[in-house]
Amino acid sequence: MEIRLENLTKVFTDKTGRETRAVDKLDIVIESGKLIALLGPSGCGKSTTLFMIAGLEKPTEGRIFFGDDEVTKLAPEKRGIGLVFQNYALYPHMTVYQNIMFPLENLKIKREEAIARVHEMANLVGIGELLERKPGQLSGGQQQRVAIARALVKKPRVLLLDEPLSNLDARLRLQMREEIKRIQRETGITTIFVTHDQEEAMSISDQMVVLNFGVKQQVDAPQEMYNHPDNLFVAKFLGNPPINVIQGEVKKGTLFADKKKIGVVKAADGEYPVGLRPEDFKVDPEGFEVDLKETFHIGRDTLIHFELNGTDVRALVDSDDVEIGAKKVKLSVKKNKIHLFDKESGSIVSHE
Amino acid sequence: MNKLKNALWSARNAVKGFFGRIRDFLVDHKLGFLVNWPRWFKAVVYLSPAMILLGIFTFYPIVNAFRLVVYEGYNSADGSITGYTLFGNFINVITEDNFIIPSSHTQSSVMINTLVIVFVSVPLSMIIALLIATALNSIKPLKGFFQTVYFLPYVTNAITIGLVFAYMFRSGSAGLVNKMLGVFGVDPVIWVERGATYWKAMFVLILYGIWAALAFKIMVFLTSIQGIDKQYYQAAAIDGTPKSRIFSKITVPLISPMIFYILITSVIGAFKTYNSVIAIFGNTGTPAGATYTLKTIVFYIYDYLNNATPGNLSLAAASSIVLFAIILLLTLVQMQVGKKRVHY
Repeated sequence: MEIRLENLTKVFTDKTGRETRAVDKLDIVIESGKLIALLGPSGCGKSTTLFMIAGLEKPTEGRIFFGDDEVTKLAPEKRGIGLVFQNYALYPHMTVYQNIMFPLENLKIKREEAIARVHEMANLVGIGELLERKPGQLSGGQQQRVAIARALVKKPRVLLLDEPLSNLDARLRLQMREEIKRIQRETGITTIFVTHDQEEAMSISDQMVVLNFGVKQQVDAPQEMYNHPDNLFVAKFLGNPPINVIQGEVKKGTLFADKKKIGVVKAADGEYPVGLRPEDFKVDPEGFEVDLKETFHIGRDTLIHFELNGTDVRALVDSDDVEIGAKKVKLSVKKNKIHLFDKESGSIVSHE
Repeated sequence: MNKLKNALWSARNAVKGFFGRIRDFLVDHKLGFLVNWPRWFKAVVYLSPAMILLGIFTFYPIVNAFRLVVYEGYNSADGSITGYTLFGNFINVITEDNFIIPSSHTQSSVMINTLVIVFVSVPLSMIIALLIATALNSIKPLKGFFQTVYFLPYVTNAITIGLVFAYMFRSGSAGLVNKMLGVFGVDPVIWVERGATYWKAMFVLILYGIWAALAFKIMVFLTSIQGIDKQYYQAAAIDGTPKSRIFSKITVPLISPMIFYILITSVIGAFKTYNSVIAIFGNTGTPAGATYTLKTIVFYIYDYLNNATPGNLSLAAASSIVLFAIILLLTLVQMQVGKKRVHY
């Protein structure tokens, strides 16, 4: 089911009357059956947005549509959503079975069907043999699965996940990522999840929504967003190691930095912040020469540090191209990988 | 302010340095044992004031009770006894009129009174306190005000409350309660004065017990309810759980350890009921002219203490040990039940 947010705004007012715009005029359309990541740094309003979709927070302004129905003022239980909380919120005094059964006990369905559904969901998330345990006897990953089963057992129209992987250790996180993706594919349910981890968001989502200070920055497919960031914030937020931002000057279609010729661009003459991803450099005898400050050979790649126009730059290049102990190296930037941003607004000028 | 804090900081360092030097000096001169006390010794020193007071006022009387109970005809004035007995005092107490068995059909016994108070007022006050705490938790405006109102009985003198109760429940149309009942056309009831029936007087006594015990229970329940993670309620809200189910399936189980603790302490407290009887009915422990008694076990024990006939102290000791045994037994039963019912 398609979800539409129109001009969604949430303003928190603290005791002194100071207002914080947690979510600011958000307009997003989420396609049916997709896995969507709400991504942003902490305090960017992504959880607030999720809770407004869930109905646990009341929007200050704006409207929320599920398909053609407006749900802005609807109580949470009438929206047909399943929500997985950051710390899972499993009832500690109930067994896994009772936890998954709990939402069904409020519905008017037959007992046999309810039991069948509990088993179906438990098997779907892979905890079929843990039904008699209490949440305290489960690992973090298993608790996460129980929470997902509990959210899905009502057959909701939308599944919402609040930072679903933040309480898991690194290995489990990788595993649960794939699990969430698999469960979403198998059920085909429209899923929205909140995360501050760009790698996590990129690896499993069909679409990402990047927020900053409650304002939408960009909505796009992960790789598309990575390759074509709409603004400096998105460019900096995605990617590890992060994008290098240097000051460059365009003269007659050529980009210079510190009098070195970086590449050819289509932009008016002037100064621009230039975004260059570390992996978009390559060793090239025809390129510009840099003095190496540090060199880290890490197997396949080599991470090199150098200075470009007064800014520290990191680049990942093929290890075979850098001699061990080299002091200087000649580099160029791969095609279509130079991102020019506007000096004032930070929005994109050209990807060349 | 900052200067003052700096000065305090340096002063503390100076003091530490001074004691450090003394310690080093003593250790250097093989006198370290003067300052390097073992940890348990320090613990004993810090605990000693409490231990001494507990010893005098709690442990010694307990031991003494077991000593007194084997004496026959003990005279506290000169300390003389006429003999020893193992169970004699217990048998005397248990078979005594009004302790367990009412002496005639119209009369009650202290054991019956105490058990009625325990088994009626404790469950009722638990349930009422839970409901009020839940209600208090769900309101926002005037929350502090209501919390204070419900907590007032806790800081008010028990005797004062009892006297006010006795006044409220006066006979005729003078009593506040009778006046209120009069509004609904009910004839004045004799509650606690001459002519009151056993159950009417007991009703007032139990009502007092419930009301006086509410304050502490509400406070404890409210604090534990406030400690429950809000997300459990949000999760329940998304599932459209009705309020009554949220209460019985989430709130109560999650604070069950607290409920259990309050249950045990309340049962013990109710067994020790004494103040309320004195406050409402005075020294006689019964409405004037009544053929029954409203005394409790503790009241009964005090009666022996106040009556300095030789041997009475041993009887008081015997009845306190009986009371102790009952409370111990009930607590053990509760612990057994609690193991199955209390979560985590």
